[in-house]
This record gives sequence, C-alpha cells and structure tokens, in this order.
Amino acid sequence: MKQMNSIFVSIYWLATLALLAIGVVMVFAYTPTEVTMGPVQKIFYLHLPIAICTFFSCLTVFVASVGYLWQRKAMWDHLAHAAAQVAVIYAAIVLLTGMIWGRAAWGAWWQWTPRLTFSLVLWLLYVVYLVIRPSIESSQRRAMICAVYGVVAFLDVPLVYLSVRLMPDIHPSSIELEPAMKSTLIFWFIPVIMVTVGLIAASFKLAKRQAACNITRELPLPKSKTARPLRPTITSGNRGVV
Amino acid sequence: MMLLLRQIIMLTGKDLRIEARSRQTLGLVIVLGILIIVVLGLGLGPEQLTNGASATATLWVAYLFAGVLVFEKTMSVERHDGALASLLLAPIDRSVIYVAKLISNLILMLILALVITPVAVVLFGFDLSAAPGQFTMIMAMSILGFAAVGTLFAAVVSSTRLQGGLLAIVVLPLALPLVIASTQMMIQLFRDGKPIGGTGLTVLLAADVLYLVTSWLVFELILEP
Repeated sequence: MKQMNSIFVSIYWLATLALLAIGVVMVFAYTPTEVTMGPVQKIFYLHLPIAICTFFSCLTVFVASVGYLWQRKAMWDHLAHAAAQVAVIYAAIVLLTGMIWGRAAWGAWWQWTPRLTFSLVLWLLYVVYLVIRPSIESSQRRAMICAVYGVVAFLDVPLVYLSVRLMPDIHPSSIELEPAMKSTLIFWFIPVIMVTVGLIAASFKLAKRQAACNITRELPLPKSKTARPLRPTITSGNRGVV
Repeated sequence: MMLLLRQIIMLTGKDLRIEARSRQTLGLVIVLGILIIVVLGLGLGPEQLTNGASATATLWVAYLFAGVLVFEKTMSVERHDGALASLLLAPIDRSVIYVAKLISNLILMLILALVITPVAVVLFGFDLSAAPGQFTMIMAMSILGFAAVGTLFAAVVSSTRLQGGLLAIVVLPLALPLVIASTQMMIQLFRDGKPIGGTGLTVLLAADVLYLVTSWLVFELILEP
C-alpha cells in the first residue's frame, strides 16, 4: 500500500513537470509576443494562475481553521499550516511577477496600486500566520491560536480588497487576448493547480510526520528493572554517597 | 440583561480603577504617541508637514503602536497573581470579559486620541475645520475596529513567550483595511476637498462588525489562565 502510494506520488509529480514543460514551450513557441508590452507580457501566463491559486490556498487555511475550531483534530491544524506555507510562497511569486511586469509597464518596481497593495497585504497576513507558530510552545494552544488567526485573516481579505479599491488605480482592468494566448493561459491553470495541490499535500504529510515525531519524543521512556538511575539516589544504605 | 450590564460595568470599573491607581498605562502610551508624532514630524520635510495626508498617516502610526501597548498592558494586569484564573472561576460568561476589556481599551484609546490628536494638529498645521465631524466619525469607527481585534489578540498573545512584539505583528496586518480606508477618506476630505464616498464608510462599518462578532464568538475558545 505504501509502495503504491509512493508510485502514485511519483507519477503525479512527473505528470505535473511534463505539463509545466509543455506550458513553457507553448509560451515561447506557440503564443505571439504582445505588441505593447513585448516579451515581458509572457509573465502573465504564470501570474494569473498563481494569483488564483493563492486565494485557493487562503481558502484552504480558512476551511481547515474552521475545521479545527469545530472538531479540535490536529489534522486540520496540519492542513492549515501546509496551505499557509503555499499561500505565502504563491503570494510572494504574485508580488515578484507583478513587480517585474510593473517595471516594464510603468518604469518603476513598485506603485501603490490597489492590486499590488492587496497582494502585499495578503502576503503579510499569511507571513504572520507562519511567524506566530514557532513562538507558541504547546501544540494544542498553537493550533487553537493559529485557527483563530486563520479565520480572522481570511475574513480580512475581502475588507483589504474593498479598502484598496479606494486608492487610485493604474492597473489594466481587462486585457484583450488572442485565441492562442487565451488557450495557453487556460492550459497553464492545469499544472499550477496540480503543483498547488501537490505542495499542500506534501507539506501536510510532512507536518503530520513531524507531529508524530514530537509526540514520540514527548512520551516517557519505558521503565526497565535493569535500567540504572543517572544519579545514585539517597537511600538508608548509601546516605551521603551522592 | 441587567445582570450582564452590571457585570460589564463591574469588570470595566475594575480595569479603570487599577489604571487610575497604578497610572502605568496611560502615561506611558501618551508619551509614546507624542514621541512618535515628534519623530515622524522631524523626519518629514517641511513641505510634507503642511500636507493633511501626512498628519493623518502620522496619527495612525501613533494610534497603532500606542494602541498595541494599551491592549498588552490591560491584559497583562490579569496575568499577575493568578487574577485571570480567578476571573475565569467567577460565574461570568467569557464574552462578558471580552466586552468589558474592549470597553476599557476603548476608553483608554479615546483618552489617548484626545491628547495626541491636538498635538498632531498643532505640530503639522493640520486644518480640521473643513470637516471636524467626519474626521471624528472616521477615527472613532477605525479605533473601534482596531480595539476589537486588538483586545482579542492581546488575550491570545498574553499566554505565549513573545508578548509585546508578537501582538504588534499579529494586530498590525489585521488593522490594515482600517488604516487604508480611513487614510484614503482623509486624503479625499482634507487634501482633495471632496466629500467622502460610501465605499470607505462601508469598509469601516463592515470591519467593525466583522471584528466585533468574530472576536466575541472566539474569545471563549482562546482565553486560558
């Protein structure tokens, strides 16, 4: 069963890599270069699917946090932690690709536009989720606090989205895509979703193993009749020998 | 209902009495707020000082950091001599403890705002006369949301190793929608001279409701002696 599982994981990742490779080939060989932006526009095929999958990861954190508050099962905490890690990495990629695009479009790495600001705040919200975890020693307390934060942080996301819309916007609201561009963009969603699911699953599995290791470490050692104490104890026979 | 109200008044009165006798929070946060305004005022150029937007941004920085200190101090009082454990043993609903702590924090934040806002107005030459009512309303709504989420996470963080630093890290990103919405409305009001739109006020109201309801619901789960 374990071997079957490992074969399935290998096939899954090989298929994902193959699809990513096909996606890269499509971007450079199949899609035309955009007239205004030039080659930097090709970043869009990665930027949009990653941005959508960031929300998916944040939603997973929220669902898992609610699950933990409801059932108090460590599994939900592991899932929320795994999804938060992916959300932070993805939000960072969205920020970086957005900045590279912005440098070409506006001549500056950073503009306080609503969408860039939104991505930055989203990244900050979930970085904090990861930062607070190691500072809480008790695993149950950590799971509880992180679940509360995970819920509040996700509910904060629409508020951030609405509040940044008050800022002046120079970001393009919609882009006209040629059929080849559109099909490449749709194709890119498949490997990116597969990577997202794969990363969350792998991270979840790792968190479960780490938790199992910690539980084993915290368990008291079995008492043995032959085991010698580390220090001689004071008994009536050896009083004063310590 | 009357019993709940009496419990809230009793707990809030206890917090305020402790503060009045010890005077350890308010003096500290007022001085911190004034220091932040002075340091930022010195750091900004003369042309920035006359800009209404920079005054509101500076005020927000002062409110945020002094606020975090308020929330932390009012909760740390409960950690001394097992006061929180005794409070949890009392026949009081835990949501009542949250509401009482929130009101205490709001009163302290209000006093803080009453002192440091005139300081910022004078030092930055910030003309409030254009819309004093709207300024007060926006700031009051923002501080309510900030105090709601700050009170919740002060209780959460007080039981961990990294107390002060961690509270600031947790609360500041959550308060960002309030900061963005209120500063954008202030820019519209005081720099551009335009009336504030409904979106900003809706965001503030939604944030207040969301933070209050969520905090009230989950406070019971996270409070531990």
